[in-house]
Amino acid sequence: MKMRTSEYMVRETLISLKRHNWMSIASISTVAVSLFVLGIFMILVLNMNRMASFLESQVQISVYLKDDLSKEDIRGIGDDIRGLQGIDTVAFISRSDAEKRLRERLGEQAYLLDALGEENPLPDSYEVTVRDPSMVETAAKAIAEFSGVEQTKYGQDVVEHLFDITRLIRIFGLVLMLLLAGATLFIISNTIRLTVFARRKEVAIMKYVGATDWFIRWPFMLEGVVMGFAGGVIAAIALKLVYAAAAAKIYDTLAFFPLIPEQPFMTIIGMLIVISGMAIGALGSSISLKRFLKV
Amino acid sequence: MIDMKNVSVIYDNGAVALENVNVHIGKGEFVFIVGASGAGKSTFVKLLLREILPTSGAIRVNGKDVVHMQHDEVPYLRRGLGVIFQDYRLLPEKTVFENVAFAMQVIEAPRRKMQRSVNSVLDVVGLREKYKCFPNQLSGGEQQRVAIARAIVNDPAILIADEPTGNLDPETSWEIMDIFRRINAVGTTIVMATHDKTIVDTMKKRVIAINDGHIVRDDVRGGYGYEDADK
Repeated sequence: MKMRTSEYMVRETLISLKRHNWMSIASISTVAVSLFVLGIFMILVLNMNRMASFLESQVQISVYLKDDLSKEDIRGIGDDIRGLQGIDTVAFISRSDAEKRLRERLGEQAYLLDALGEENPLPDSYEVTVRDPSMVETAAKAIAEFSGVEQTKYGQDVVEHLFDITRLIRIFGLVLMLLLAGATLFIISNTIRLTVFARRKEVAIMKYVGATDWFIRWPFMLEGVVMGFAGGVIAAIALKLVYAAAAAKIYDTLAFFPLIPEQPFMTIIGMLIVISGMAIGALGSSISLKRFLKV
Repeated sequence: MIDMKNVSVIYDNGAVALENVNVHIGKGEFVFIVGASGAGKSTFVKLLLREILPTSGAIRVNGKDVVHMQHDEVPYLRRGLGVIFQDYRLLPEKTVFENVAFAMQVIEAPRRKMQRSVNSVLDVVGLREKYKCFPNQLSGGEQQRVAIARAIVNDPAILIADEPTGNLDPETSWEIMDIFRRINAVGTTIVMATHDKTIVDTMKKRVIAINDGHIVRDDVRGGYGYEDADK
């Protein structure tokens, strides 16, 4: 674009924003609010995802062995498990280790175990983790078939519920994001429509003297993009502040919670929000221009 | 310059605005289009500007096929045409100079040329010293002169005026016609739709009379004629 033309475009955009400053402020704030909610949801979904995969990765299979196995048999089972596909770690827990753990877990109530005397009722076992959480079930079933294996256990119900919940959150989040993006689009295109309407005389004259469609469109497009950008920046700043505050609160009370660290996460989210603001602004303007600038 | 062959315009509601119109207007001509309101004058003007397309027939303006033109060629057709309306259509928040310069800005004319061209057309219409005024500080005649300056600043081959004197008193109308005569004298074709009888009768230029969508008369040096055409 020629230099004097881009100067003209920028000037026209600023004049228009200033001339309709209440309208502009109203649309920028609506855009900011929508993008803020959009961002909150993005953050929630991403954190939920992370928590889900964190929990999923915690799921392990306990393989309880039959009594009276020789050391070679036990080692052989361990090797067989390692030989399966998708196995991450295999750790042997001897029956005395298991008893120690149980004592620790029972804490003050460990005396209950004393009632058993010298008898240790716990079996030898392997603790197996898999690389991909979705493979837990298959692996557990395969291992249960091994001779010398009494039974395998994993949190079947927990794992399945977790998958259901994360899927729900993803779908719900996506739907809500689309709805909000649609609403923002509508708001911006409406504002631009008002601007076009307010400047219809200018537009008519431009057409009569032979301005090209793009020349007529540019200032309006820019206006939409500038509004989207401003709304996006406001939303991004607000999101950053809210996340920092929320993260501080959560670390205070739930230290183990696997929250996504603020950097670079929030910078990326902020950039995404600003870019979506601008994209929505451009799209919103072009929608209303298409309908109201019929040349 | 302007060629219409068998042009008909039938609006969606079935109303026939023009029927089987054949017109040739050559370079440098000064033509009045006369007729009562609703006779088809405005439709004629809109066809030249390609605001509407004919239902059938062929139209050539400045050597361009108006009917089969691509949408993105329309601006370039209009750059060869200057338009003036009854209601001036100036931008109230721009000065006289800016209103005229606007027409050059939006077709991305070089800025160096702008100052010179705007001053020279303001000279033509006699408003050079009022270049800083806003439209509401001007009389109706002066506003129409600004509109004329804007219409000719890009050097169009054809000047199209739709009832340019419709809102003006007779004396002011004559000032406008005088400017038109001067613009025409340097070779610009002028097509003026009007129902101002006195002007048409006095100017002694070509007159195309439209009634009920038909050309009923085309006189090389005519008068308004048809007393009943302006009921």
